[in-house]
This record gives sequence, structure tokens and C-alpha cells, in this order.
Amino acid sequence: MSAERYNRQIILEGFGESNQKKLANASVLVIGAGGLGCPALLYLTASGIGRIGLIDGDVISLSNLHRQILFSTADIGKLKAETAARKLAELNPEISIKPYPFYISQTNILDTIKPYDFIVDGTDNFESKYLINDACALLNKPLVFAAVSGYEGQLAVFNVEDGNKNKTNYRDIFPIQPKKGEIPNCAENGIIGVLPGIIGTMQAAEIIKLITGIGKPMVNKLLNYNLLQQSFYEIDLIAAPDNAYKIPKDESSFLKTNFGYPKDDKHYRVLEIDIKELENLQKKDSTILIDVRETHEIPKLNSANYKQFPMSVFEDLLDQEIKENNIVLLCQHGVRSIAAAEYLHEKYGINKNIYSLKGGIIRWKNFFTS
Amino acid sequence: MEIEVISFGKIAELITTKKLILDFILDTDDFKKYLEETYPELNNIKYKLAVDKQIVQTNCKLKDGSVVAIMPPFSGG
Repeated sequence: MSAERYNRQIILEGFGESNQKKLANASVLVIGAGGLGCPALLYLTASGIGRIGLIDGDVISLSNLHRQILFSTADIGKLKAETAARKLAELNPEISIKPYPFYISQTNILDTIKPYDFIVDGTDNFESKYLINDACALLNKPLVFAAVSGYEGQLAVFNVEDGNKNKTNYRDIFPIQPKKGEIPNCAENGIIGVLPGIIGTMQAAEIIKLITGIGKPMVNKLLNYNLLQQSFYEIDLIAAPDNAYKIPKDESSFLKTNFGYPKDDKHYRVLEIDIKELENLQKKDSTILIDVRETHEIPKLNSANYKQFPMSVFEDLLDQEIKENNIVLLCQHGVRSIAAAEYLHEKYGINKNIYSLKGGIIRWKNFFTS
Repeated sequence: MEIEVISFGKIAELITTKKLILDFILDTDDFKKYLEETYPELNNIKYKLAVDKQIVQTNCKLKDGSVVAIMPPFSGG
């Protein structure tokens, strides 16, 4: 390791040679070499991280160049992963840089991230973001998450414990993956080029803080950044209540989880209903109402009308066959019931009508307690 | 009771008002119901609330002057 190369940060008070050695001994995988990944990779490479992996299956196109600053006009048509690796090796030949010129998938992600200490999410779609989140949560890998839209960005550090041994992941904020088209992406909505430059650079800074222990990484916080206002809005995160969502608990259940976009077709969708629709369904013959709250939760519902199947043992229900055609899921606030409905949807598809009570028992407590 | 609203991304285009005077809203469950009735588009967008910069995981009381942030997920990279 050339001390001269890193001299300006080694002489920095609070940094020093020991932290430079920590960088040299660390490994980081950057997933997506796009608007976020390019600046993150440049600064991680320059800083002297010992081993960097970068994964991207895409090729460079002209509309990438206003924000994907590792690439030049002559690179159009080339693979991003290999082009990025070559340029990064020119910047810093003293470290190891490994390109993976393919897309992450459910079948390759666990093996790809296992050899790395830290993961950077620079992807541009929810399918990948949820796949990365769940894989990192399962393997307990520190994940520096970011996402951008228009003039705004979000940044967080997941799967790292704070002083009270609490940790969070993306599903603690958004438990259910949005449907395709629900939230516009960069291709649809547009993005100002410098924005992922700022947020991707912040991701590199968070990685350097996590490796060296300097400063306060964004653990259990979500940073919202607005470029137009030049403003920051930081939210403290706590974990969602137990069973608000499920992260696959081992590799075989990870491989069985559906990370595809929930289908748009209304026949393939879990329908959220209000209390009037619930009452109408209740009058039909082939309807079952399932309360997925845990047994200690109140108000208790009449067990003659509502079957109780808590989320903590929901897998038991998935193993059984439900004979009714209309299945209505309910819980306290209407969050867990959506997750439950999605599981049943995966199982039954269009063969059953599956509903979730929006707002849950609390929103309609007059109905349930009268 | 007066609630300050901070919204992000696509939701900021829907909810342009910064202050709401609401008399029958006691907690975040009431607030969500109010939001989804007033802005029906919110029924089709996932979002998370934070009250006074704390993420809302279970229903929590609102008080005069509470600042409620309404955040959608972003997917871009």
C-alpha cells in the first residue's frame, strides 16, 4: 500500500494509518454501476478499499452519460461492469477490482454477496432493491441503501446494530414491494444528473465510516435529500412490530420467495376493501374471514365469524387448503393483512378472491366492537 | 389542532398544502384515513408516515403542532 497515494487522508486528524489499513483490509460489493454506483465506485476505489466487486449486466447507452460519470461517449454499447472495472483499475491499480457482468437474480445473489463485508445498493428498480434487502437481512450484511427520484434522494444504512442492539432494514419502512407503475422510475420520471452523484457519494462516505468507525453512520435513520431546496430531512427508524413482514429465514425459503413485480392485472391483485365491502362479502356463502393478529391483541373478535391465524404461525395456514372462494384477511392496521393476502395470492392465484381490510380493525373499530 | 405536513416525491405533487387544521383527528390512524379520503390517489401509492421525525410503526397520538412527514419509496438509481 502506497502511503503517498493516501497521504492526505492519513494525515487527517481522527483518520490516520490505522484507518487506512482498515480500508485496505475491507471488501465492498457495489450492485449496479449506474447513477449511484459510478460515483460510489470512484470514491471507494480512490479511498483504498482493498477489494471491490461491481455487478451490472447492462451495456452503456447515450442517455446514461449525463449521470453515469465513469463512462464516456466512446464506451456506448460496451458492458458497464467491465468498462467500469477497467477505468477504476487505472485510477487505483493497487487494489483488487472484480467485475460481474450480469444482473443479480434470486439464484445468484446470495453466493455473489457472501464474499463481501459491505454491500452498496445502486440499483434502479424495486425488484432488485427488495431482493438485495432480503438477501442482506438473511446474511446479516451491512447494506448502504439509496434511491433517487426527480430532484430527491433517500439514504440509509441497514442491518447494522445501534448502541441498543436495534437494527432495521428496508421492509421496516416499506414492508410490501410496490406494484409496477405505482412509483415512477428514472426512465419514466426523469432525473437530474448531479443528484445520484451526490447520493452515491454519500453512500461511499457511509461505507468508509462503517469500515473505519469514524463519525456516525446513518444507522437506523432515513435521510431524505432535496436538491432544489438543498435540504435534508432525517427520520429515526425503529423496527416494525413482530410479523409485520417476513424475511426469508434460510436460503431455501429465500429461493422460494416471489420477488417479481406483483401483477398489474386486477385479477392478480390483492384487493384492499373497506368495511362495507367486508359486510357484503360476509353475507356470501363461500367467504372466510381470517384475523392474522397475534392472540394477545385486542379487541378480540368473535371466533364464530373470524378465524384466527396469527402471522407468526401463518405458514401452517399456507400448508392447509382453504375451501372458501372469498378470503378476507384482517389485522390491527391493515399492514400485516396485506402481507398475508400476498402469500395466499402466491398460492392460489386467480383461483380465489383474496381481500385485505384497509386500515384494519382499528380504523373500523365501531363495527368490530359494537 | 394544527398539523404541519412535509411530503416527498410524487406525494408532494398531490399534497401541496403545508398546514392542516384538523379538529377530529387524534392520532395517525385517523390522519391516514383523512389523507386517503382527501387524496384518493394515496390509496394506490405506498407511503410511510413519520411524526416529529420518528417513523410511525403503530398508531400514535398527534398533538397541536405535530410535524407529519409523508414519504413514498423511490426506486431510481
